[in-house]
Amino acid sequence: PVLPEGWAAEKDFKALSSLSAPTQRNVEPVGPHFLAHARRKRHKRTFSEDERI
Amino acid sequence: MSDDEGAAQERVAIGISFGNSYSSIAYTSSDGKAEVIANEEGDRQIPSILSYIDGEEFQGTQAKSQLVRNPQNTVAYFRDFLGQEFKSIDPTACHQSAHPIQHGSTVAFSIHDTLRPASPGSASANAIVPVSEIATRHLRRLKNSASDFLGKPVNAAVIAVPTNFSDAQRAALREAAERAGLEVLQLVHEPVAALLAYDARPSQPSPDKKKAGGVSQTADKIVVVVDVGGTRSDVAVLASCGGMYTVLATAHDYDVAGATFDGALMDHVAKEFLKKHKGAPDPRAEPRAAAKLRLEAEAVKKALSLGASASFSLESLVAGIDFAMPLNRSRYELLVARHVAALVRAAAHAVDKAGLDAGLDVAEVVCAGGSAHTPRLARALEAAFPRAAAAGAVRAPATDPAALNPSELAARGCAVQASLIEGFERADIEESTEAVVTVTPHLSRALGVVVVAGPAEEEVLVPIVEPDTPVPVRRTAVVPAPAQDGDVLVRLCEGERGVKVTRPERKRAETNGEEAGGSEGGSEEDSEEDDEDEDEEEEEVRERVWKATRTVAEVGLKGVRKGRMVEVQVNVGVGLEVQVMVREVGGKGGVRGVVGGPEGV
Repeated sequence: PVLPEGWAAEKDFKALSSLSAPTQRNVEPVGPHFLAHARRKRHKRTFSEDERI
Repeated sequence: MSDDEGAAQERVAIGISFGNSYSSIAYTSSDGKAEVIANEEGDRQIPSILSYIDGEEFQGTQAKSQLVRNPQNTVAYFRDFLGQEFKSIDPTACHQSAHPIQHGSTVAFSIHDTLRPASPGSASANAIVPVSEIATRHLRRLKNSASDFLGKPVNAAVIAVPTNFSDAQRAALREAAERAGLEVLQLVHEPVAALLAYDARPSQPSPDKKKAGGVSQTADKIVVVVDVGGTRSDVAVLASCGGMYTVLATAHDYDVAGATFDGALMDHVAKEFLKKHKGAPDPRAEPRAAAKLRLEAEAVKKALSLGASASFSLESLVAGIDFAMPLNRSRYELLVARHVAALVRAAAHAVDKAGLDAGLDVAEVVCAGGSAHTPRLARALEAAFPRAAAAGAVRAPATDPAALNPSELAARGCAVQASLIEGFERADIEESTEAVVTVTPHLSRALGVVVVAGPAEEEVLVPIVEPDTPVPVRRTAVVPAPAQDGDVLVRLCEGERGVKVTRPERKRAETNGEEAGGSEGGSEEDSEEDDEDEDEEEEEVRERVWKATRTVAEVGLKGVRKGRMVEVQVNVGVGLEVQVMVREVGGKGGVRGVVGGPEGV
């Protein structure tokens, strides 16, 4: 939508609320994408860090 | 990591699908394609049956034919007995072969498996063989078949198990496999293996250039896997998000499966036989004739899934009478229609259980298991899951020319997984499959942006991240900017699924007119169904819409020219903090911001 008149925020970004609580579920430990996920999780890396390596 | 261990014993890993009725083995070739291995008899689906004649062991098809002549020394349908207490097993399927007996608290079979003659003291020459030993012998034979084919000794495997296998059953299967000389790298759930077999196809195009850890992204979708086995059918509803799978709901049906289909054929043929041969005994009442009928029924079922007609023929069925009759596919499909409907109901029920809508949310249906070859089943699933059908994503040979063989899926998926992890250290694999890694927060709501679209200039939510997506996750969406030049407000919202039902008014008037005019023409049946059909006649159109529930963040993007696209990238972290980046496509800079995660996560 179009920005209303008089809308202003610091650096044009306004955080209003956080996400609602997540559900805890089991990911199936299968497939290349999971292995990448497990690798990131065990080394506590983020996506971009992982890509750089 | 220590290279010595890996070098000392090189792993040769295969994928094993170990079923109650059939097992199969698969490997991954050097070009990355999963292939199912045929055993020495040329079978890719190897019957999970062992038979003993004069101390000699037979397995697979040879053992299966012994169900007629040597049933008491033939063991079949034993997979689900592994790790079970005797009182909790259902021995129905074993009535035609060696019966399971109690052995301590576990299950065993009493069979004559050596040449040892009956000693004078004991009444029988039979040995008590525990079910775990039977499984070991079976897995050892599978391993040897694979070793012969590959030309090198196989020493590791990934094995598929049903989703409702208990820890005791898993442990018993692992133990049986280790005793057969197979290192069990991992136990994989059957529906997940089936899906992996599809997703790992090299032909799979990778539309997204974004890479996640060096592998291409796959689309986010809800997939239903319908696995119709010999003695059980399993349905699983999975969320596939960026190639990661989460099981949302499962259903298990032990009443309708391949054996039920065979039974329907058997009954039909037995009745025809009795009609033709008045006074002959019922072949279903004679164990040997019934065993013959059952084997032939299964063969005819397979033939009718491939071709339009088949011949049912048996030599000396009962009382020395030969019997032959032709059968066509439409007759077969008529006979199993009731069971097919029950399976489709089970699938729809599982989708319900996951809180999803069968018509609107399911993007893909994967048919697995031997009886999933039945064309009617695929068609019925198409009718039940219209969205998947419209996308041509009901994966069965009858509905998708590119479909894989449903019987081979689990073994192929296991082979893919085996090739991925065979180079890993055992500790690495165990660490990766621990709950710390697999239990992951999943978004409970969708996250998307509100855009103005359509002629009515409605505000609608376009989801960027679907619900039930595991975090961390990164997704990028491109949405159109407003029609005029100027500044844009990007509202990032959480959303819930809703259904929009539209009933065209004109259509309703038409049907009313029809009813008034043509009432005399309708038969009794028609008028009975009218009430139910009314909704359908109105052709109500159900659509999936997303309702924005609360705004997470607002972003102002200044100076966007009309007709341009706006790129929105969201990055949800493990603590559910959200990083947002908004910019005009092709433009520089853009606006960035961070929203903190909820309390207590």
